[in-house]
Amino acid sequence: MTNPFIPILVMAALALLMAIGGVAASAVIGPKRYNKVKVDAYECGIQPSPHAMGMGRFPIKYYLVAMTFIIFDIEVVFMYPWAVAFTELAMFGLIAMLGFLFLITVPFIYEWRRGGLDWD
Amino acid sequence: MSILNYLVLSGILFAIGGTAVLVRRNAIVAFMGVELMLNAANLTLVTFARMHGDLTGQVIAFFVMVVAAAEVVIGLAIIVSIFRTRGSASLDDASLLKS
Amino acid sequence: MFVAPHIEWAALSPVLILLGAAVIGVLVEAFVPRGSRRLVQVVVAALALGGALVAVTWRWTVVQQDGPSSLVAGALREDAPALLFQAILLILALLALLVIADRARGEDAFTPTASAIPGSEYEGQARRAGLAQTEVFPLTMFAVTGMLVFPAAADLLTMFIALEVLSLPLYLLAGMARRRRLVSQEASLKYFLLGAFSSAFFLMGLALLYGYAGSVHLADIATAVPLVSGMDGLLLAGSALVIIGLLFKVGAVPFHSWTPDVYQGAPTPITGFMAACTKVAAFAALLRFVYVVTPGLGWDLAPFLWIVAILTMVVGTVLAIVQTDMKRTLAYSSVAHAGFLLLGIIALDERGISGILVYLLAYGLATVGAFALVTLVRTKDAEGNLVGEAGHLSEWAGLGRRSPVLAVCFALFLLSFAGIPLTAGFTGKFAVFGAAVAGGDWPLVVIAVLASAAAAFFYVRIIVLMFFTEPATGEDGSATTVVRSEGLTAVAVVVCAVGTVLVGVVPTAVLAVAAQASKFLL
Repeated sequence: MTNPFIPILVMAALALLMAIGGVAASAVIGPKRYNKVKVDAYECGIQPSPHAMGMGRFPIKYYLVAMTFIIFDIEVVFMYPWAVAFTELAMFGLIAMLGFLFLITVPFIYEWRRGGLDWD
Repeated sequence: MSILNYLVLSGILFAIGGTAVLVRRNAIVAFMGVELMLNAANLTLVTFARMHGDLTGQVIAFFVMVVAAAEVVIGLAIIVSIFRTRGSASLDDASLLKS
Repeated sequence: MFVAPHIEWAALSPVLILLGAAVIGVLVEAFVPRGSRRLVQVVVAALALGGALVAVTWRWTVVQQDGPSSLVAGALREDAPALLFQAILLILALLALLVIADRARGEDAFTPTASAIPGSEYEGQARRAGLAQTEVFPLTMFAVTGMLVFPAAADLLTMFIALEVLSLPLYLLAGMARRRRLVSQEASLKYFLLGAFSSAFFLMGLALLYGYAGSVHLADIATAVPLVSGMDGLLLAGSALVIIGLLFKVGAVPFHSWTPDVYQGAPTPITGFMAACTKVAAFAALLRFVYVVTPGLGWDLAPFLWIVAILTMVVGTVLAIVQTDMKRTLAYSSVAHAGFLLLGIIALDERGISGILVYLLAYGLATVGAFALVTLVRTKDAEGNLVGEAGHLSEWAGLGRRSPVLAVCFALFLLSFAGIPLTAGFTGKFAVFGAAVAGGDWPLVVIAVLASAAAAFFYVRIIVLMFFTEPATGEDGSATTVVRSEGLTAVAVVVCAVGTVLVGVVPTAVLAVAAQASKFLL
């Protein structure tokens, strides 16, 4: 009997080969013409907004967004089990989840009113 | 695979996290140690949930993840405000209160 | 098949009132214009605490009639000890709120903008504009909500969530002092890192106990103790880790290292609040855990708890004697008090519960009162500008001559800490030590009495300093002065002082009420 893990190992090896191969091939055969834009930090094609200050530190705004993101992102964790057992939980689940969503909305309103969502 | 392997793994993770909190001098890295400890506890919970054939452990793991996220936010806020003041997140610099 | 749990809204009313107030507080921050925000916040917070106190009293009468009950599918217990701990918490929180809201000389104890870099131009502008970080009030309400759930939590998950809900706001509040911002931020960081570290221990203990019993309900774990065999390691390690997590919160040696730093760095009204209320909540949870889960493993856990209790009493007392800063002295004295309180936990005797209740009431009143007075004693530089609170003990010299009322009140609180008869502290110590003797732990009581005597030395030394020493003027011409409170702090201090005297002079009434809380509902 073959090991059930073999297909996945083959898959992983192929993926690794493609990834490394792609990078290696472009490094070896690709033309190298650098300019200022190309060596700059990549930010979705737009001009890198506030330049990283000395020693490569990031402006505080990034942390603010990261904090906001992580808190609202992780709250979704409670919605997966709810969605899976939606019919079984019936009205109780719906009301509980609405209450939960309301409680999350409160800090969101706070942040919006106090300018936490403004980028500049 | 034996349940024991998972428990040993989570024990090791917990110990690594605890060591990181105690020996690393950077506040962020020390805090990452705490997160590692929380996740070790999560692994234990999920393992035991499997062992008991009971969902409680998995549900608790969800709660722990959310609490950990809240802790990250509070921690980042505190560390960032200190960093802005001092330009460093080293715990050795934070020693005004030693006496 | 899923069956929706029955939710006892009436029994949850105290918690819901406070949680509602916290949520309203956040909305107030969002919508109420800056000028009236502060007033609205104070009113909402005070009404909520008062309302919750009324609700707890009402539930007390219900429990007296119908007996204790289990709430929300067994997540919470509504029994006599839980309600009494909640009542004490609410009283102390209300007093602490008065101190937090007070603006002596038009300035509260909090930074105008916590996000500004200390000493920056922006901070200066905010101060001149008279901004206030009124988020303090909703944060306090969230912390009190967590504290209120803590004594009633009947499963470890609820306990863990309550622990976090009470801790996270306190980490932030610790970093918001108006003066000495760097020290305050540092206190916040230390509190946060060590607090998160300790909750990781608590969580690992929770996981191990879940593995042992297959449930996180305290009652289920307790029933599993005699039944499940061959996994004693899990049970012992789990219980020890949970207890360590809670001992961190009460500040017992060797888990006390954050206490002096955080007490010193945090804004003084917050120090008073958390010194009193966190200790009440954490001891309530510790008491329930130890009394419900671990009676079956007395012999295995006893050595651990004995060592912690002895270390806490001795180290707390000795280090308090050598401190030169008022807030640090009070911090180490609170460590020593944690040691005395541990006696009631180790006793595993039903008198231990009521003893700890009385002790915590006495300790809490004196703590809130003492820190409230610390907020009023300030240092004045040569030009007569206030530069902050008078931290150094020498600055307290001769205070009894210039502000006799303040000094007498402070002396009263110190005597209560020391456990001198006719103060509340004596009643508390008597009740806890009595329970420990009944539990057969007389060696611990001997050590406790010796430690109390040694502690009395430094309390009396401060009193002597205040009344019988000439006031000192610093080399740079700085002097100590007492600012007038807006009135709120004065009210809090008077209530604390009256309470301290009353519990000391007529202890029978308090003891009788506390004695009804002699048993936890399994």
